[in-house]
Amino acid sequence: MTMPASSSKPRRKIATTDLVMQIFLITVGLIVAMPIIIAIFTSFKSLQDISANPNTLFPREWTWDNYITAWNATPFGRYLLNSFIQSGIIVLFQVLFSIFAAFAFSFLNFRGRDLMFYLILGSLMVPFQLTFIPNFIMVSELPENCRALFGEGAAFCSQTGANTYFGLTVPFLASAFGVFLLRQFFMSLPKDLHDSAQIDGASNFRFLWQIVVPLSKGSISALSIFTFLSAWSQYLWPLIITNDTEMRTVQIGIRFFLANQERGTNWGALMAGAVIVMLPTLLLFLIANRQLVKGIAMTGLKG
Amino acid sequence: MKKFLKTAEGYLYLAPTLIILGIFVYWPIVSSFQMSLTRVAPFGGAVIDVGLENYQRLWNELISGGEYYNNLKVSLLFTLGTVPTGIVIAVALAIALAYPLRRLSWLHRLLIFVPIVISSAVTGVIFRWMYNPAVGYMNHWIGLLGFEPVNWLTSKDWALVAVTLAVVWRQLGFNVIIALAGVQNIDATYYEAAKVDGANLWHRVRHITLPLLSPTLFFLTIINVINSLQTFGEINILTDGGPGQATTNMIYAIYVDAFVGTPFRGYASAQAYLLALLIVIMSIIQFRGFGRRVHYS
Repeated sequence: MTMPASSSKPRRKIATTDLVMQIFLITVGLIVAMPIIIAIFTSFKSLQDISANPNTLFPREWTWDNYITAWNATPFGRYLLNSFIQSGIIVLFQVLFSIFAAFAFSFLNFRGRDLMFYLILGSLMVPFQLTFIPNFIMVSELPENCRALFGEGAAFCSQTGANTYFGLTVPFLASAFGVFLLRQFFMSLPKDLHDSAQIDGASNFRFLWQIVVPLSKGSISALSIFTFLSAWSQYLWPLIITNDTEMRTVQIGIRFFLANQERGTNWGALMAGAVIVMLPTLLLFLIANRQLVKGIAMTGLKG
Repeated sequence: MKKFLKTAEGYLYLAPTLIILGIFVYWPIVSSFQMSLTRVAPFGGAVIDVGLENYQRLWNELISGGEYYNNLKVSLLFTLGTVPTGIVIAVALAIALAYPLRRLSWLHRLLIFVPIVISSAVTGVIFRWMYNPAVGYMNHWIGLLGFEPVNWLTSKDWALVAVTLAVVWRQLGFNVIIALAGVQNIDATYYEAAKVDGANLWHRVRHITLPLLSPTLFFLTIINVINSLQTFGEINILTDGGPGQATTNMIYAIYVDAFVGTPFRGYASAQAYLLALLIVIMSIIQFRGFGRRVHYS
C-alpha cells in the first residue's frame, strides 16, 4: 500500500524486484543484528577458539564454559534478582499510579484538572541531567532524615537511601508518559459507561477496577512492557545510587565485570555476561514485538 | 460540600503522581539551581554561597578554550555525527521495509528493529569487544573493505567515531520504527498519480516521500538531538571519557565532577543547568528552522 512497486509491469519483472529486495533486506537485517549475533556465538566459543580464530562466526565446538566462568566470577544471580525486583517495583507503581491519574483526567470533573494535566505533562521537558544530582543527595540523606523524623529506633529507615531497592526505584514510581498514554486510551471509552455505572450506584473506584481496567488491558500491558524495558536498561541512576556489590543491577554488574578484569579480558565470559543481561528483554521482544513496535510507532515512546 | 468532595476525590487519584513528580522532578529544578550557586569549602566541608562564580568559571573556560569548551565541542560533534547518520540510514531502511513483500517481512523487521531492546551497557560491552584490535571484528571487517586497522578506542581521532557508531546502532531500531510509521502513513494515491506521470523511484522518493515525511523527520531530529546530548552509558563503558578528554561530553563531565573523586556538586549543577537550557534552546531553534519547511498534510 505504500512504496511504489512497478505493479503495471509484466509479472516477471515484479518477481525480480522482489528477489532483489528480499536479498537486500536480509543482508541489511543481518548487518544490523550482527553485533547481537556474534556476541551470542562468541559466548559459546572456547578461549583458544576466540584468540586463535577471532574472526570466524561459528564456534569450532560449542561450550557452556564462558557462562560457568561468568556466573562464578561475578554474582550474576544476585544482579538478575536485583534487576527483576527493581524493574518489577517500577512497573507495578508506574502503571498503578498512571491508571489512577489517567482515570481522574478522563472521567472526573474537578477544579484545576486541566492545570494539573499540563503540570504533569510539563515534567517531560525537565531533562534527567537537571534532576539526578539533587535526587542523589536527597535519596542518600533519606535514612538520616527518616530517623530524625521517626526516632532512632525506626528500623524501616535503613531500607531507604542509597543501596536499597527503595532508593533504586523511588524517583521512577510515577511517569507523565504513562499518564498521557493511558489517558489517551481512557478518553476513547464511551462516557455512557460511567453514567450507567453511577446510576447503578457503583463508586468511581469500583467503576475504575471493574469496567475501565478490564477494557484497557491492551494499553496497560503495552505500557507495562515499555516501562519494563526502560527500567531494565537504566544505567546512570543505578550506577550512582549503588556502590554495594550486593545491590547492583545487571547493567552495572556487567560494567564492573568488564572493569575488574582489565589485565587480560576474558571476552568469551564477558559476552556470556552480555547475553545474560540482554536475554530477558530479547525474549520479551521475540514474544511481544508486534505490540512493542505498534506502541512505539503510535506514541513515539522510547523503549 | 459535594463539590469539595468531588475535587478532593480528583486530587486523591492524582496524589501519587503529583507527589513523586513534585519531589523528584519539580523540586530539583529549584534545589539544583540553589546548589549551582554554592561551593564546598576544601577544609571542613562547609557549603559556601558563591553567587554566580561557578557560571563565571564555565564562561571563562568556554572563551579560553578550556575544559568546558572541550565538553561542549564533544557534545556538538557527537550530535552532528549521530543525528544525520542515524536518520538517513533509518529513512532509507524504512523505505525499503515499506516495499510490499509477501514473504519474510517479519524477519526483516525483527532483525532491523532488535536494537531497541538492547541497553546502553550491553551496547558498550559488545562494541568494546568488537573494537578490540586483537580479537575484535571491527578491524577485520574494515580490512575486508580495504582499510588499514584503526585504534578505535585509544586514538584521540577515532574514539568519538567509535562511540558514535555504537550509539547510532543502538538508536537504529527506534528510528526505523518511527520512520516506517511515517512512510506508511503516506497515502498510496500520491504514488499512483506519480507513476501515471512516469516518475521513477528516485523522483517518487525525492518529491513525494521526503516532503510528506517532513513531520516525521522533524520529530526524529528533535528526539535524536536530545538523546545524543544525553548519551552517557556507552561513553562510560567504551572510553570513560578518554583518551584525554576526547569523548567527555557535557553529561559525562557533569557525572565526573559530581561523582568521581572529590565531588564538585555546585560546579556540576551549574553545568547541568546550562545543558538543560541547551536542550530546550536546541528544540526551539530546530522548531523554527524546520517549521517553515515542514509539510503538514
